[in-house]
Amino acid sequence: MLPLLKRGEVLCSIQRMSVAPIAITGMGCICAAGRNLPDSMEAILRGERNPAPPVRFASNHPVRYPVFEAAEFEAPPDLLRTSAFGLHAVREAVADAGLDRKTMGALRVGVCVGTTVGTVLSEETFCRGYLAGLIPDMTPIRRILRGNPADVIAREFGLSGPRQTVVTACASGTDAVGIAGSWIRAGLCDAAIAGGADELGRITYIGFISLMITDDSPCKPFDKHRKGLNLGEGAAMLVLASERVLRRSGMRARSFLLGYGSAGDAYHQTAPQPDGAGLRSAISEAMATSGVSSDSVAFVNAHGTGTPDNDRVESRVLHDMLPGIPFLSTKGYTGHTLGAAGAIEAVFTAACLEIGKIPANAGFETPDPDIANTPVREVTTVQGTVALSESLAFGGNNSVVVLGKA
Amino acid sequence: MSGMDQIVIEGVGGVGGFGCGVSDLTRALTGSACSPGTLALSTESGTVTIPAFRADVSRLEEFLPVRTLRRIDHFSRLGLLGSYLALADANLPEEERTRLGIIIASGYGATGMTYAFLKSLIDDGDICASPTCFASSVHNSAAAHISIQLGAKGPNLTVSDYHMSVPSALATARIWLAEERVQRVLFGAIDELSDLIGYIRYRTRGALPAAPMTPLRTEMETSIPGEGAAFLLLAREGAARGGYCTLDASTTGSLPFPGLPFPEPGLLVLGADGCRASGRRYAAVAQNARVACYTPLYGSMPAGPAFDLAAAALILKGGRVFPTPGGAFRDFPATVPAGGDPVGADRIACITLAGNEAYGLTTLGRLNSL
Repeated sequence: MLPLLKRGEVLCSIQRMSVAPIAITGMGCICAAGRNLPDSMEAILRGERNPAPPVRFASNHPVRYPVFEAAEFEAPPDLLRTSAFGLHAVREAVADAGLDRKTMGALRVGVCVGTTVGTVLSEETFCRGYLAGLIPDMTPIRRILRGNPADVIAREFGLSGPRQTVVTACASGTDAVGIAGSWIRAGLCDAAIAGGADELGRITYIGFISLMITDDSPCKPFDKHRKGLNLGEGAAMLVLASERVLRRSGMRARSFLLGYGSAGDAYHQTAPQPDGAGLRSAISEAMATSGVSSDSVAFVNAHGTGTPDNDRVESRVLHDMLPGIPFLSTKGYTGHTLGAAGAIEAVFTAACLEIGKIPANAGFETPDPDIANTPVREVTTVQGTVALSESLAFGGNNSVVVLGKA
Repeated sequence: MSGMDQIVIEGVGGVGGFGCGVSDLTRALTGSACSPGTLALSTESGTVTIPAFRADVSRLEEFLPVRTLRRIDHFSRLGLLGSYLALADANLPEEERTRLGIIIASGYGATGMTYAFLKSLIDDGDICASPTCFASSVHNSAAAHISIQLGAKGPNLTVSDYHMSVPSALATARIWLAEERVQRVLFGAIDELSDLIGYIRYRTRGALPAAPMTPLRTEMETSIPGEGAAFLLLAREGAARGGYCTLDASTTGSLPFPGLPFPEPGLLVLGADGCRASGRRYAAVAQNARVACYTPLYGSMPAGPAFDLAAAALILKGGRVFPTPGGAFRDFPATVPAGGDPVGADRIACITLAGNEAYGLTTLGRLNSL
């Protein structure tokens, strides 16, 4: 096990120097909490959450597990819902950044998007037809093959930079943001659209139920009586830009991407390593690259799914590495949006830094004696200029971004 | 990324329709017969057998106990075998494995498990859907198995950009090394030919005859689906202890033709895979260049560009071009060197085209002594 850290110390198994901050010039979001970032922030600060059994699809499972659907959002018929979520969030982020298509056309803009279902050939109607010996309609398969989220965004905005769709399960959105930052620093592009998008459908819903990690009531991250996660859907996107582009384009920095770290557990396909060694390495690398000390950290937006294992491991790592620093999970307001989660939580984190407040950790009521620390229970004023957003994923992926106030 | 150390391809590992490992790949490239096998598909008109380059993963038992493999699906077995072959080829000491970064590129992911999960819920109902299949169907399942078996605790990434997966993921691998996140990246591309993928291929391209692939004959559809894994162990120059060649650049983008930024390579390895729709684009790109194409040895799949890179690495190490299976065709507007010809320059570029405009371009260079 890695040594415990005192506050202010930074452990990094991989020796990294701090890297140049990347400006975040625009943000967009759609999820169960709201159709855009301001609405979502208002809702979560009011403590609103509305998990309910799914209405967009049916299941004959006897238990109706609550989910967080993005109400009243309809994707065009020729577009994957995942990619439609992505485009919706990009439009908000680009408008927020004050970018127009002409300006974007003059820049080399990359697109890096995390997803779990956006590139998967998982189409139930097609498979039912195939298994029944029929000639299933190929339209849904073509929609998937044309719907790679990064491609869809690049095509829609005529972007000429690198494109990448990251599929590191629930860490995808965080990884996409971190990778896009590296692209800009390395000169692969001038600016980037980065984030995550995922739709909720029957296959995912039944899959998570089969794993027995879903809660049949509204999720309760870090609570003693937590039983699992509630699934959600949505997207969030950030416009990232180099300092040079910032000066040239007239955009302003809303916040900064200061650091990024990721590490594998090398332990299990679906369970986190009990001592959280991978998460510790990811936090250490993210802090080292950000060049800030833990004294500057105002809060941590934790992964906090509400599964017994995740919350136990994550809270233990936070207790050891960032003791006394307020933390929360926002999944009580959005559900677990899988490949979108890291991006949604990154924009929430940046927005919270801007306003100096974090919402209560929805669903938390009873402290767990197995957990040494407790998340924030009410809307809390935070001080400090830096915050962390972290993701843990199937496959043992752990990813962390460090965000800074402009 | 100016001023960074060079990146060296230290080891190559691959399994595909040509066989398993560098020796089988070299044998196939030098002209040994490499015939496709078959894939039997259930269709509305009964069982249809299509030609297919299948990969045999039985050699994985040389590296892992059978018991460990029991619950690992074919997609991840392909990745594990590719990994172990590349590490063995580079002779990387066991203790160095824990510090590896891992990057996997896959066009379609674990489609066998995706299909198995769907079948379980269709056949057995929502309440009895298979959790094992669901957990194994995620795109990063192979990367997870590799990291677990190797004890590799560095950064771990899986990328899925269909036919652009390899050049896209390679660009990020180069950045990880340039940033000194890690000293080495185990880079691999994996695609499996599951029933689901086979059937989709059958529906989109029909039941093609079992004739050899002739990708430079652009007026014909001759693609044969393939599966496999091609892995490269990449190292920063300072850490490398030898190897095949340097990995100089990997870019993706969208450009109208002509206008690709070729670095005047001695040889252009085309990712043309017998698909008529993209064949004409390859012909336009290759105009007047010296080209080679090795896809007839492993078939058509999104992971194919990684096999192209493996072939290019072997060429740069040996200094001689391998023959293009099937040779040149009269109407193809490029020079196709014969087997054994000198490379002619210090660089080889590998190009992949997809859709109407997308391209991926990876450049390898001759390795001077380290």
